[in-house]
Amino acid sequence: MNYFSSNSERGLLLAAGLLLSALANSAADSVSFNRDIRPILSDKCYACHGPDKNARKGKFRLDLEAEAKARRDEHFPIVSGQPAASGLVKRIFATDPDEVMPPPKSNSQLTPREKELLKQWIAEGAKYEAHWAYLPVTRPTVPSVPGAKSKIENPIDHFLLARQQAAGLTPVAEADRRTLIRRLAFDLTGLPPTAAEVGAFVKSKDAKAYEKLVDRLLDSPRYGERMTVNWLDLVRYADSVGYHGDQIISVWPFRDYVINAFNANVPFDRFTREQLAGDLLTNATPATRIASGYNRLGMMSTEGGIQDKEYLAKYAGDRVRNTSTVWLGATLGCAECHDHKFDPYSTKDFYRFAAFFADLKEKGWYKDGFDKGDWGPQLKAPTPEQQARLDAFDKQIARHTAALAAITDEKLAAGRAAWEAKIRAFDKGQKLTGSNAPAVKAESTAGTKLEVVKDGEILASGPLPAHDDYTVTLPARLEHIAGFKLDVIRDDNLPGNNVSRAGTSFYISEVEVTFTPDKKSRLQPVKISGATADFAEEGHPALATIDGNPRTSWGIGFLPGRSHNTTYTFARTLTGSPDAFFTVRIRHSPDHPRQHLGRFRVSLTAVPADVLTAVQLTGEARKEAHEKTIAKFYRTIAPELEALRSQLNLARAERETLTGKIPVSFVSESTAPRVMRVLARGDWMDDSGEIVESGAPHFLKQIVKPARATRLDLADWMTAPDNPLTARVFVNRLWKMYFGTGLSRNLDDLGAQGEWPQQLDLLDWLSDEFMTGWDVKHLARLMVTSAAYRRSADSTPLLEERDPFNRLLTRQSRHRLDAEFIRDNALAISGLLVEQQGGPSVKPVQPAGYWAYLNFPRREYASDAGDSLHRRGLYTHWQRTFLHPSLLAFDAPTREECTVSRPVSDTPLQALVLLNDPSYIEAARAFAEKILRQGGRGFDKRLAFAFETALARPPKAEEAQVLHDLFEKQWRRYQADKTAARQLLTIEDAPAPKNADPELAAWMQVSRAILNLHETITRE
Amino acid sequence: MSIANEIRRLGSQQQTRRVFLGRAASGIGGAALASLLSPGGLYAAAGKPDVKAGPKGVIHPLHYQQRVKRVIWLTMAGGPSHLELFDYKPKLAEMDGQPMPDSLTTGQQVAQLQGQKLVCFGPQTKFKRYGKCGAEMTELFPGVGSVADEICIIRSMFSEAINHDPAHTFMNTGTQLVGRPSMGSWATYGLGSEAENLPGFVVLVSIGVGRSPQPIAARQWSAGFLPSRHQGVHLRGAGDPVLYLQNPAGVSREQQGDVIRAVNTLNAQHDAVVDDPEISARIAQYEMAYQMQMSVPALVDTSAEPESIREMYGCTPGDGSFASNCLLARRLAERGVRFIQLYHRDWDHHSQLREELPVKARETDRACGALIRDLKQRGLLDETLVVWAGEFGRTPMSQRDKGSPGRDHHNKGFTIWMAGGGVKRGFSYGATDELGYHAAVNPVSVHDLHATVLQQLGVDHARFSEKFQGLDWRLTGVEGARVLKGILS
Repeated sequence: MNYFSSNSERGLLLAAGLLLSALANSAADSVSFNRDIRPILSDKCYACHGPDKNARKGKFRLDLEAEAKARRDEHFPIVSGQPAASGLVKRIFATDPDEVMPPPKSNSQLTPREKELLKQWIAEGAKYEAHWAYLPVTRPTVPSVPGAKSKIENPIDHFLLARQQAAGLTPVAEADRRTLIRRLAFDLTGLPPTAAEVGAFVKSKDAKAYEKLVDRLLDSPRYGERMTVNWLDLVRYADSVGYHGDQIISVWPFRDYVINAFNANVPFDRFTREQLAGDLLTNATPATRIASGYNRLGMMSTEGGIQDKEYLAKYAGDRVRNTSTVWLGATLGCAECHDHKFDPYSTKDFYRFAAFFADLKEKGWYKDGFDKGDWGPQLKAPTPEQQARLDAFDKQIARHTAALAAITDEKLAAGRAAWEAKIRAFDKGQKLTGSNAPAVKAESTAGTKLEVVKDGEILASGPLPAHDDYTVTLPARLEHIAGFKLDVIRDDNLPGNNVSRAGTSFYISEVEVTFTPDKKSRLQPVKISGATADFAEEGHPALATIDGNPRTSWGIGFLPGRSHNTTYTFARTLTGSPDAFFTVRIRHSPDHPRQHLGRFRVSLTAVPADVLTAVQLTGEARKEAHEKTIAKFYRTIAPELEALRSQLNLARAERETLTGKIPVSFVSESTAPRVMRVLARGDWMDDSGEIVESGAPHFLKQIVKPARATRLDLADWMTAPDNPLTARVFVNRLWKMYFGTGLSRNLDDLGAQGEWPQQLDLLDWLSDEFMTGWDVKHLARLMVTSAAYRRSADSTPLLEERDPFNRLLTRQSRHRLDAEFIRDNALAISGLLVEQQGGPSVKPVQPAGYWAYLNFPRREYASDAGDSLHRRGLYTHWQRTFLHPSLLAFDAPTREECTVSRPVSDTPLQALVLLNDPSYIEAARAFAEKILRQGGRGFDKRLAFAFETALARPPKAEEAQVLHDLFEKQWRRYQADKTAARQLLTIEDAPAPKNADPELAAWMQVSRAILNLHETITRE
Repeated sequence: MSIANEIRRLGSQQQTRRVFLGRAASGIGGAALASLLSPGGLYAAAGKPDVKAGPKGVIHPLHYQQRVKRVIWLTMAGGPSHLELFDYKPKLAEMDGQPMPDSLTTGQQVAQLQGQKLVCFGPQTKFKRYGKCGAEMTELFPGVGSVADEICIIRSMFSEAINHDPAHTFMNTGTQLVGRPSMGSWATYGLGSEAENLPGFVVLVSIGVGRSPQPIAARQWSAGFLPSRHQGVHLRGAGDPVLYLQNPAGVSREQQGDVIRAVNTLNAQHDAVVDDPEISARIAQYEMAYQMQMSVPALVDTSAEPESIREMYGCTPGDGSFASNCLLARRLAERGVRFIQLYHRDWDHHSQLREELPVKARETDRACGALIRDLKQRGLLDETLVVWAGEFGRTPMSQRDKGSPGRDHHNKGFTIWMAGGGVKRGFSYGATDELGYHAAVNPVSVHDLHATVLQQLGVDHARFSEKFQGLDWRLTGVEGARVLKGILS
């Protein structure tokens, strides 16, 4: 079988395009410039006779009426109404290869039909029209549709029906309620309805049941999550920088801003202003500043040896491409090196647009990106709740500190004297030999191989269990033991950033010590009273390893892996002996599976020599300095202080852990604007170009302002009522979300190469409606409550014949869910989904080694644990150069650049994901458990439950038969082979049910089949 | 004839009209019309495709007579030094330690040597002549040298980009902008693939004795705006050879078949009701997935190869080495895979050139020679194009700020070699100036190289475009490119 079978990718759209013009022409026989002629001229002629002056041939341009109709030598290219006299007609119909246009050597050839159209156009007067998308939106009258037999819900239906009537087509009937609720749920929330919701909706007698459902879904917080997926594609949001080392960054608060904005229905003009210029607003808040992170979402580089200037030019170009595509549907990016080939954008327009962003504080080369995590301006914005907790901790810490200070050295004098006496008494005895002997043994609880390699250094290898604790045993042959030191040692062979076995860091949640003084004694737990690290990742202080809380931990984070250490002090000093030994148990954080130590050492620390020396000095020999030294040390072990010290440690650990949870995000910061020049041919080394000021493309309405036009001015300009593009672009994209195709099909290009919109009147009416308040939910509601939206996706032979691509919207469409929603759907069906809005991105399971070709730092992906494994796809960590393979397989974009419309492919890799990705296996198991738990008794009932849950409908008899056969066969097999059943039911990171029930295993196979169905991943 | 009629007529030539109703991938290009008008161009989604015919790409008939059916591209990532490997410069040796003439370097891009003194650095390896053609190469390349009479060395390459990430992107996609299709994707898109049960574009990245190699992004084998199925599929040296290839534990091949059969049966039943062409496409993909679960493990299991062959390449099965990947490349070529791209990393010798370059040479040299010989002895070399290339070369100046000396990135002149169908054998083309800085004689741009590769595949680069953001995008860009007629036989 061939990988490219069912290859139907070419030609279809072309066919669609041709057919459309055919459809259009059947409605009106005269030629329209915008609809019929501009597409031909733009595609076939403008490359040489269009806006780009450098590419222009024969000093002739066709895009301007005056020039096209002016005399050239002995003839006129276009003579209105006289094709026979027009040079253009002669040339396009010429047979002489030297004469004919376009030249045979070029890629562009006119079809016979196109030639006829051009001729007809000239015959009809060769009327030019301004490009529709650059004309202001005017609100068209809603057409009346007398005698329409179809239901009409709102003006959308008027426009569509009028057109359908003209074409002699009648739309299909409304879809059934099961289909409707599933369609609405996917479109508005990205999640399927529950069986109960389907049942209630199907049964409801409420005349407004549909509208109420729409309102409920629009009010659901899931709505914002669903809308955000597409927005993040547009603004190319990701969790890594993209270039070269593709280092991990924190911008997730921006993602949460978008979710919140959609849910709060922030008007789109404000939404625009906050992203482009949230920092420049007079009433800027942390939220708007986080929104201004939009300007910082492009790729960045810290690659050694890159030129600052070159990358500043790259970032500038990226911003022009992004902003102009996202808001204006313009391919202004094409004008970076030359004037636009098809649209009136000049190279100068490109650099003027780039100049809006010239005030951003940024670097081309983020020299310290890798070493220090410095990627430019950031904002740390605690939530009000976090701020309150921080304040509370500060108070606690101050209180404990004061209480400790109140217990003066004098009050501790008696205890200290006793301790000193003990030390002196011991030192009269024999000295120990082999002091500070290295560790002799290290053991793992979960099967990691631990070896003492040299000087007490322990190397981990072999299996990498998700959770593991290490226990190190080491002799205690030091006379006076104050504590111990844990060294984490860099090893180039460790994949996890050279300091751990996976991920980019290690996370130690607790450290526990026991002491066995001699052969006769039992081991005694040793209390640790202090922990100081030479370095700690924010939110992971060393004190977290002695706070008794497994959810807090010490780690070093995503900076170049270097050796680090923590020094622990015991709550009392201990004396060693030839037979004494310690065990140190290192507990890894349960929240960071596999991010375990790879190479490390535990060694005892002695009571500092200066303290011991001072203790030996008595009487006159002891000076005040000695006293101080001893007193200071003694405070760390004084039993009288222990309770307070513990409380203080705890408060500090909690406070520092909390600081790591404070949202940090890139933001825009304004500084003196840098000089922007036109770069000839885009060459960043060329400093000779004209200096430009920020401004709108020259042929559109200009921003009039005495001072420099800012990003805020740009946002205002884009959302001004007379901006012809912004509203149309957004409406068109939203339309695609609900109807499958935009009113103008090219969502990314409203220019000359875009598609003449199917129904400009409808697009304009909606755009005008949208601009009155920029109310996104209102627009969504209008669309999904239209009768057009509610139609069945089933077609009729007549409609297939007359309008095979459904451009007249006589029916609804079917399409595969987007990558994230395929995942969400499986999690929702199986009941695994953890709905928690926002927060740092999460790492679901991913095949080992997938990140092997990343470097700076090297890292081995470490999946999260617990709830984080079952979050919506939207929250998945977005690694630009190696996007999670399950998402990538289903066409999720890498977000290196703006993605307006995801391709929808169908590959064997997708089948492999749904069949074999452990996430989907786990979902199948959970689904099977749910079926057995909630589905009643007997196969039929259970299958009915499964179908209602996954597909919002009961199974048909023939479907039930197929799955029954599958079930029977699998059951027999697993009864005969219980080991296989257990293997299937055992999933890494998800504990297996206690008994490996063959029936459950068989249902799991049925569940896998259901989760793989085309219908399951299709919105109808 | 009206267009609607024309479409209907074309539709009737297909097994089913439904294929026209399918959701097509975005974009149409100049080639689309040809595809539409040629009856073989569209594959009916329903039923089993005609395997014998092999799905074609969008270009047919081909623009030119096809000289090679496939490409094996050996990417030496990091930028191997042309000055130590292929491009011996006695003048540079003579000027060792002296300042580099300003006339060469003024106004040129510099990478890590920014702000440093630019000092000539003579060749650090010995050169010798190989084969009857007497090709001059480093002594470190006896393997490549042993096939000197089969290869064509181009000593006059230059590139736009001077840093790894953009330079790879440029070499693979013809532009430094990200999000554009890689050459392997273009090739399978244009030509389809003859491989049964395998992807048409396969990528292999080898494991070497590493210092800290430059990262490689999956973007390098992305399909960009072309349909995702043309994305390169990474064949992994460790773990599942293709991601998610293995059945879940406790599910036998037969049981996996049971599930897939049930899925496909239910899908077909559903199709009978809703008449959605996407469903038959999906059914075919599930079958393909099931086949791949068999064919891929069989493909990567090189233990079936005779000992003598493994010895020739110098590999042990499953070691993930460049040598193993060369052997796999041959196996992929035999199976009809259109574009096979190998990556070997760590050629980025800013420092320790003398110490580390031989390591990389050892890891790759023998297998390169073996690959050429093996293809030849099987009659495959004539229908395969092998390209050996880094993303750029290295400076004639030394870099000394990172320990023992090395060379910085250099994009103005470097060396690649090619072998196989239609390329002159035992031939050298182009030259750099006497210090190895600029491509001076017959300079070859990356676009020229792409144009040449496409021509050997039977494609006119200028006529192979895809509409993206209103533009006709080509692998070879908008500036024009020339086919290297001088190296073609």
